[in-house]
Amino acid sequence: MGITRRVFMKGGAMSVVGMAAVPGFLARAAMAADAAQPNRRLVVIFQRGAADGLNIVVPHGEAEYYTMRPTIAIPQRDVIDLDGFFGLHPAMSALKPLWDARQLAIVHAAGSPDPTRSHFDAQDFMESGTPGLKSTEDGWLNRALVATGDPQRDAPFRAVALGTSLPRMLSGQAPALAVGNVNDFGVAPRNPQAQPLANTFESMYAASVDAVLHGTAQETFDAVKMLKAADPAKYRPAAGVVYPKGRFGDALKQTAQLVKANLGVQVAFTDIGGWDHHVNEGASEGQLGRLLKEFSGSLAAFWQDLGALAAETVVVTMSEFGRTARENGTRGTDHGHANVMFVMGGAVRGGKVYGRWPGLANEQLYEQRDLALTTDFRQVMAEAVAQQLGNPRPERVFPGFRNPGFLHLLG
Amino acid sequence: MPRTKLIGAALALLLLLPSTSLPAFARKHSKKLPPAPAIQRMDERERAIHALNRLTFGPRPGDVDRVLAMGVDKWIAQQLEPGKIDDSALEARLAPYRTLRMSALEMVENFPPEQVLRAVADGKMPMPKDPQLKAVYTAGVARFNEKQAKKNAKAVENADLLEMNPADDLSQEMKEKRQEAREHARSRALDLMEMAPESRTQNLAAMDADERRGFWRALSQDDRDKLTSDMTPQQKELLLSLENPVAVVNGELMQGKLLRATYSERQLQEVMTDFWFNHFNVFIGKGAERYLVTAYERDVIRPRALGKFSELLLATAESPAMLWYLDNWQSVGPNSQAAGRAKNNGKPSQGLNENYAREVMELHTLGVNGGYTQKDVTELARVLTGWTLEEPRQGGGFVFREPRHEPGDKTVLGRVFHEDGHEDGQREGEAALEMLAHEPATARFISTKLAQRFVSDTPPPALVDAMARTFLESDGDIKAVLRTMLGAPEFWDVKEYRSKVKTPLEFTVSALRATDAELTRTQSVSDALNRMGMPLYGAQPPTGYSMRAESWVNSGALLNRMNFALRLGTGKLAGVKVDAAKLAGNGTNSETQADEVQRTLEQALLAGAVSAQTHETIAKQLSDPLVTGRKLDDPPKPVNQGAVAGLILGSPEFQRR
Repeated sequence: MGITRRVFMKGGAMSVVGMAAVPGFLARAAMAADAAQPNRRLVVIFQRGAADGLNIVVPHGEAEYYTMRPTIAIPQRDVIDLDGFFGLHPAMSALKPLWDARQLAIVHAAGSPDPTRSHFDAQDFMESGTPGLKSTEDGWLNRALVATGDPQRDAPFRAVALGTSLPRMLSGQAPALAVGNVNDFGVAPRNPQAQPLANTFESMYAASVDAVLHGTAQETFDAVKMLKAADPAKYRPAAGVVYPKGRFGDALKQTAQLVKANLGVQVAFTDIGGWDHHVNEGASEGQLGRLLKEFSGSLAAFWQDLGALAAETVVVTMSEFGRTARENGTRGTDHGHANVMFVMGGAVRGGKVYGRWPGLANEQLYEQRDLALTTDFRQVMAEAVAQQLGNPRPERVFPGFRNPGFLHLLG
Repeated sequence: MPRTKLIGAALALLLLLPSTSLPAFARKHSKKLPPAPAIQRMDERERAIHALNRLTFGPRPGDVDRVLAMGVDKWIAQQLEPGKIDDSALEARLAPYRTLRMSALEMVENFPPEQVLRAVADGKMPMPKDPQLKAVYTAGVARFNEKQAKKNAKAVENADLLEMNPADDLSQEMKEKRQEAREHARSRALDLMEMAPESRTQNLAAMDADERRGFWRALSQDDRDKLTSDMTPQQKELLLSLENPVAVVNGELMQGKLLRATYSERQLQEVMTDFWFNHFNVFIGKGAERYLVTAYERDVIRPRALGKFSELLLATAESPAMLWYLDNWQSVGPNSQAAGRAKNNGKPSQGLNENYAREVMELHTLGVNGGYTQKDVTELARVLTGWTLEEPRQGGGFVFREPRHEPGDKTVLGRVFHEDGHEDGQREGEAALEMLAHEPATARFISTKLAQRFVSDTPPPALVDAMARTFLESDGDIKAVLRTMLGAPEFWDVKEYRSKVKTPLEFTVSALRATDAELTRTQSVSDALNRMGMPLYGAQPPTGYSMRAESWVNSGALLNRMNFALRLGTGKLAGVKVDAAKLAGNGTNSETQADEVQRTLEQALLAGAVSAQTHETIAKQLSDPLVTGRKLDDPPKPVNQGAVAGLILGSPEFQRR
């Protein structure tokens, strides 16, 4: 069998912990071989900047909400009612059909238990999957891949991040691709005259004794060839699907492209920023509204574009923390705590808001200022990972997390 | 230090070390381990190349011979005294970029941020009198007002009209209008191109703000480049400051960094500046940070990069950049006068912010396993209250405000800090930081990081030990620690020759240096760094960028490097010129001499480190008739020297240093 590149790298990188780690990894890999289910996939979306969950899924049945947000609360007449208590921000009408079709579930008052209100720390904790611990080097999604993957069987496109760099969540031993633009993925891809140069590079790296670079390059060129064979230039979204203009819509469009091209995408990631509305957040209309329109429109288009493949796909959204329950002095909100998560999928038991709603009375708030947390994000992700990646051991993915059980929003 | 703590620290150290090489006392008590591999010293030529690879951003043509002629040790000694190295050529290159010499306050004044523009728009601040500044402010206020109007408006249809994105959903009428706007702009641009750069700049600056913006948006990128490519940096600065003042500050900062890394003769100082900036990382994207980074790097980091660690630590603690980035400027003692006053006035309670206290111990000094507790973090945060900024969003400087300082005794790492008649609140913080700077855990953590950057991703523990000892004995003298490192046999162990993978910054700059590239505009290089995942000054978390291989070796990154290498070699990197023919020896360039061209380039770019495999692969490419397109009786075609250079720069060998 020989030592694969990943074992080699793990050997090199893990020598700090001790050589004992290597045999364990190999053993685990052998055990996990049967667990993976290649025809299901998980898409994780990170809203960076702390999205205002209370204005996204509005607790319009809670009187406190209106007293706490005199200028930025969403009026009841504007809210898209979901279940008589909660409603969607009016800009999110694109997702209502999914709710009605029971393919969209919502978890409110969810997030990371760590008290930090620093964007950087909180994002870091949510991506490493170990809130409070800074020394974790890899990401939870990567650990999920390691725990379920057979290194021999890794397809180059098994884990894809749409963006210029690999997010923390996907860093680690399992290979993952960062694709900035599908049409630019290759050596001078738009220039057919450069093909001989691409081939030369490939031969160079194939012959190289530099094990680490050789391994990565091999994956790279395999991915480039696979992508070329899938002919991205001819791709068009499904009939009637219109993605909103912008980076997020583009990223989801390309994700759909990669999924439909049958490249073996099992995990995909992308992010969308701009949620940090300290000033002039807006109510039914305004900054948050515009962003939500782009957000929900892109998700809905993605869903439609996937067509039959949507049944095997689950999309989960997350944000590093929510925002203050009360509006601040500049018609915005400050950094808070619990937030809202969306779970879309064929396997989703949708049309329901999960989690225990803690209420917005002053004594019910976290530190008397933020929505209190009642569902740890790891509970939701562990279920998503178990369901879609066939990962039987969520504690590998979230070390140190005592899972109180799944919410049963999938399956 | 209490005995239990000593044992605890020793245990912590043991956990950090690879099991194959424990310190002597532990080795005696553990089971028999395989002996550490014997160190085989590099030969003199390898030493010269290694020194250049590790202590600079990469060798330039001729550097290896120069260092050999001088003697490796002598060259190193010279690099350790940067003040004595003439860097006037670099200074000349940096001269046109005004903001590099400005204080944060001057920058805010000349390139006003939104807060200042709002104040002027609201009449709370006066419009400047200087005509050039007035133009910048007028344009800025106009932009600000437009933005406010947009926020209240329902839809912004006109923006679509002039957007360059293909808009399939525009109505036919709007499409025609847009086409007309484009043609109009094109013809105006042609007129402007006829003018000399100075008059052209004045003409553009004199335009009404909205008109100019509309004009600019309607132009193709090609025309925009043509209008600005022959302008001086000052002229470009003026135009850009009319549209986006902050971009001037950022653009010049990044240009400055790349020019320094590429052309400074004080290479070790530049490498150390980069090292310390990364260690004491701040993220340029955090609001007001944009105005604070230039002074941070120039006045806080660089002058102390080879000095005493405690001075560097203290300087960063007081720097607006760090105070802002890790929020310490906002931290107020819960029992301080200021907190009391706020409570009495019914304002939201101001409180302790632990962010900086935690990071200064975890990331700047002791390290994550350095033996501090959460209590220590809170106590240190209390010590450091009152360290704040004047007008943080307008480039204000450090100021210590006693009313914000937490009163009473604080205990950090077992030592009590108190205010008495002699120590004011600020002295408390200075004393606490002094203490941290002298802790053995700090000596160990800093030495480990230095060894990781300069020696190996997993540095030999004996070397780290020696460096930590020097750190403690020399009162944290960075130069002394480096001398210990550079004098140790582990540094010159042949197994470390070309062993480290270059980070994207090291890769791009080493390619620019190896090709003796002429940099006029560095935007294309910054863009490449963004694509490779290492945007300049763009590390969001306080941990900064990783210096370890696995962070940078992923598919996308590798492709980006190959593409960068090809574009650089074949002259397709805007603003960067490479004379491939010169590098290839300026000899007769024909297919029959392909082998000679290849060998010359390999020698020039990689000092002969090209492997047989790489050489064969490239040679095959050059002689393959399918590749050269040559048919039987065709005359020999010239070798594409740029492409060969690109192949070498993109090779696996060039990714290592």
